[in-house]
Amino acid sequence: MNDVLVGRALAKRFGQTVALGGVDIAVRSGEAVAIMGPSGSGKSTLLHCLAGIMKPDGGEVHLLGQRIDTLGERKRSALRRSRFGFVFQFGQLLPELPAEENVALPLMLGGVPRAQAVRQAREWFAPLGLHSLEARRPGELSGGQAQRVAIARALVTRPAVVFADEPTGALDQQTGQETMRLLVEATKHNDASLIVVTHDPNVAAWCDRTVEVRDGRLLTREPGVYA
Amino acid sequence: MNLDLTWRLLKGGGRRGLLGTWLTLGAVAVATALLLFAVAANSAFQARAERGAWRNPVPAASGAVAVEASRYDFVRDRTITVVDLAALPGRTPEPPPGLPRFPAPGETWLSPALAELAEELPAGELAERYPGRKGVLGDEALVFPGELVAVVGHAPDSPAMTAQRTDDWVVAKPPVKVASLAGQPSEDAEAYQVLSLIASVLMVVPLLVFGGAAARLTVARRDQRLAALRLVGATPGQVVAMTVAEAVIVALAGALAGAVVFALAVPLLAGIEMQGGPWFAGDLFPSPLVLAAVLVAVPLLVGLSAVAGLRRVVVSPLGVAKRETPPGMRFVRVLALLAVLAAFPLLTRGTSVSIIAVALALAFLCINLAGPWVVGMIGRITAASARGPARLLAGRRLVDDPRAAWRTVSGVALTGFVAGFLGLLSPTGFGDEVTGPPQLRVTAPAGQVTEVAAQARERLRASGVQATVKPVKNVVVAALGSAADDATLDRARTALAELVPGRTPTTQRDDRRFGIQILADVRVGTIVVLSVSFLVAIASSGITATSSILDRRQTYGLLRLAGTPLEVLDRARRTETLVPLTVMGGGAILVGAFCAVPFMIGGMNVVGTVTLVACVVVGFAGVIGAGALSRPLLRSVTADPAPRPD
Ligand SMILES: Nc1ncnc2c1ncn2[C@@H]1O[C@H](COP(=O)(O)OP(=O)(O)OP(=O)(O)O)[C@@H](O)[C@H]1O
Ligand SMILES: [Mg+2]
Repeated sequence: MNDVLVGRALAKRFGQTVALGGVDIAVRSGEAVAIMGPSGSGKSTLLHCLAGIMKPDGGEVHLLGQRIDTLGERKRSALRRSRFGFVFQFGQLLPELPAEENVALPLMLGGVPRAQAVRQAREWFAPLGLHSLEARRPGELSGGQAQRVAIARALVTRPAVVFADEPTGALDQQTGQETMRLLVEATKHNDASLIVVTHDPNVAAWCDRTVEVRDGRLLTREPGVYA
Repeated sequence: MNLDLTWRLLKGGGRRGLLGTWLTLGAVAVATALLLFAVAANSAFQARAERGAWRNPVPAASGAVAVEASRYDFVRDRTITVVDLAALPGRTPEPPPGLPRFPAPGETWLSPALAELAEELPAGELAERYPGRKGVLGDEALVFPGELVAVVGHAPDSPAMTAQRTDDWVVAKPPVKVASLAGQPSEDAEAYQVLSLIASVLMVVPLLVFGGAAARLTVARRDQRLAALRLVGATPGQVVAMTVAEAVIVALAGALAGAVVFALAVPLLAGIEMQGGPWFAGDLFPSPLVLAAVLVAVPLLVGLSAVAGLRRVVVSPLGVAKRETPPGMRFVRVLALLAVLAAFPLLTRGTSVSIIAVALALAFLCINLAGPWVVGMIGRITAASARGPARLLAGRRLVDDPRAAWRTVSGVALTGFVAGFLGLLSPTGFGDEVTGPPQLRVTAPAGQVTEVAAQARERLRASGVQATVKPVKNVVVAALGSAADDATLDRARTALAELVPGRTPTTQRDDRRFGIQILADVRVGTIVVLSVSFLVAIASSGITATSSILDRRQTYGLLRLAGTPLEVLDRARRTETLVPLTVMGGGAILVGAFCAVPFMIGGMNVVGTVTLVACVVVGFAGVIGAGALSRPLLRSVTADPAPRPD
């Protein structure tokens, strides 16, 4: 009923390769979903289709009841900026900006005045254990700290859904666990839904449920899609 | 060995890695071609000076074999160099270059172009001035192809070889007893050599900056992979060897390509007129030794630059993966610039041309030292005052890597310096057209002015030229009347040839011709230097823009995935170039103008100002255009929905 993001019969092929062969998925408000599966099974493609990065060849994507896969690139781009947050494996922070400005950037892109954007951005540092790292630049942060800055940046616009593709892929086990805990807690705290692509069961364990992708299809039938 | 690995690294760079390699190659090629041009310009002027040396006699201390004198004559709008030669009694001097034997009295040799002109024009306009034509001068005798030269043989006691020449309007060399016809480069030729040296300094400094940018492009493309190699366990020595080998291989290929480009451009460059004519292509080719030196030096410098760029990777395996706040540029750089600026007026008191060249080189180096510091300052100010994301990004980028931004704008900044300098320096006042009907004047020997005037009247009447001839003090003036055209004028010149032995009747326009020529040459030189600087500036801004995209393609790609509009990134990149360009370009023009003040003759002139403004407009347009060219690359780099480091 309170589905935030719904994908129906999503299909995508690259030449001969079928990356997605009809995937139905629904993510509820505040829910954390892990997408698991072997390499090349279509996890990233599914995430890209749901996030409006890619247009699926077939099927539909709805955000809060509004169809988004048919929107033009400009509108989808604006949507990604305002309604979604993203955490990637690494390399998403601009190396020349201090951490706080990296976090403030999405707000500024949305038209928030700089001083206010930076003030809002700073509020995220202490809860994420980044106290006094505001002025550091990404090159001066550890991998785990950089991912936490990325989490702050994903959440600062108060998005409806946060997408994370292998967010702990470049971290060691312990740091990865800590990062996942913070990611899940912070998204829950903000009433955002979370979609995490991973092949690490320890990462998936932090989520409310897990869907398995094999060869572009879900192993488990999604409840609620046709509800 | 390492070479094998290097080769695979080169090939395995992927499509974008290959693009970087090609860009480096192209940049090195452009730099090499321009460097060869700067070097060749010097050797070309030297070659001209040596070719013309035989006409500039050196007085013999003893053992004189001949008498030599020279003067200028004019036909249509062109200058003829006339060399008068006489063997001393009982002597058989070596012939001058380009002649089969020493001319006997009454014999005349003409250069091919002059011989042709003598055939073309009616005999009464040119050919009759040079009776006794025996043959044509070889190219060895000429300063440039198509030069008009006449060599006239005399008896040593003929009036032409004994009369005084010094009080003539147009500078001429009085008869001099010489031991040989080797001669020495004339003062004019030496002045041109010094000017070409200055021009080279102006061109080479931006070139070096550009070369550095090209070298860093290879490293920028490779540093991530090399850092990875370090993490895998390659020794620092191996990493350095591989990178340097790669940079040197690419640079060598680029240098060779540049030499080929230069060779192909020589026929075009030879057409640039200086001192009244184009060039012998052979004079423009640098000697094999110089060519070899350039072909060795360029890859070597690129290799060194690569080593310098790599130091951080080698010091720590995480050197590149961890980007640290760069150490602040030291204020000392600016102090150095200010010190030179303060010393400039003192330094140039002597106004000797070589001192100007040294002072210019110094000022240039200091601008180069202070440049990155100022760019960093500009970046800080831009970032601090930014309200929107684009300006903030641009400012932070400038602070992060002021050298990169400086590399982009340095060309225009240094060009602006040149333009500011030359804009004020261009001599003025030679260019005024002489109005009214032409008047030929020739100075008569003391006390003979009335007789010479009578002879002139007689000769002009005989050749059917209408003229009023009057003596004015000791000068005979033949006013040709308003109906006189070029043909009539040349008929009058021919009629009056040898009226006074060793002296050429000249018009006021003839007397100014050398000033006009120098002005024209300075303008051509200015345009050449500006064009080269712009080429460098535009190429380097294109390269910098491209490499900055390639360097951060992953971040740009991920930002775009997260919904950052491309326009913001693009605007940031534009601001990143435009802000320093405006500040540095404008500043450099002012500094250049300031440095020119000590040398200024007369006031600011219109041509200089127009050149300056045109330079600024073209420079900005070119740099922005070159930056815009990389936009499709930005688009293609960020279009990949799943960017990963390659
Ligand atoms: N841009 C593309 N062009 C061509 N084929 C692609 C492209 N992107 C993905 N594919 C193919 O689609 C299939 C699914 O790819 P996807 O990236 O979604 O896999 P994944 O599950 O995320 O794998 P991994 O765990 O390795 O990241 C793979 O066979 C891949 O080769
Ligand atoms: Mg994937």
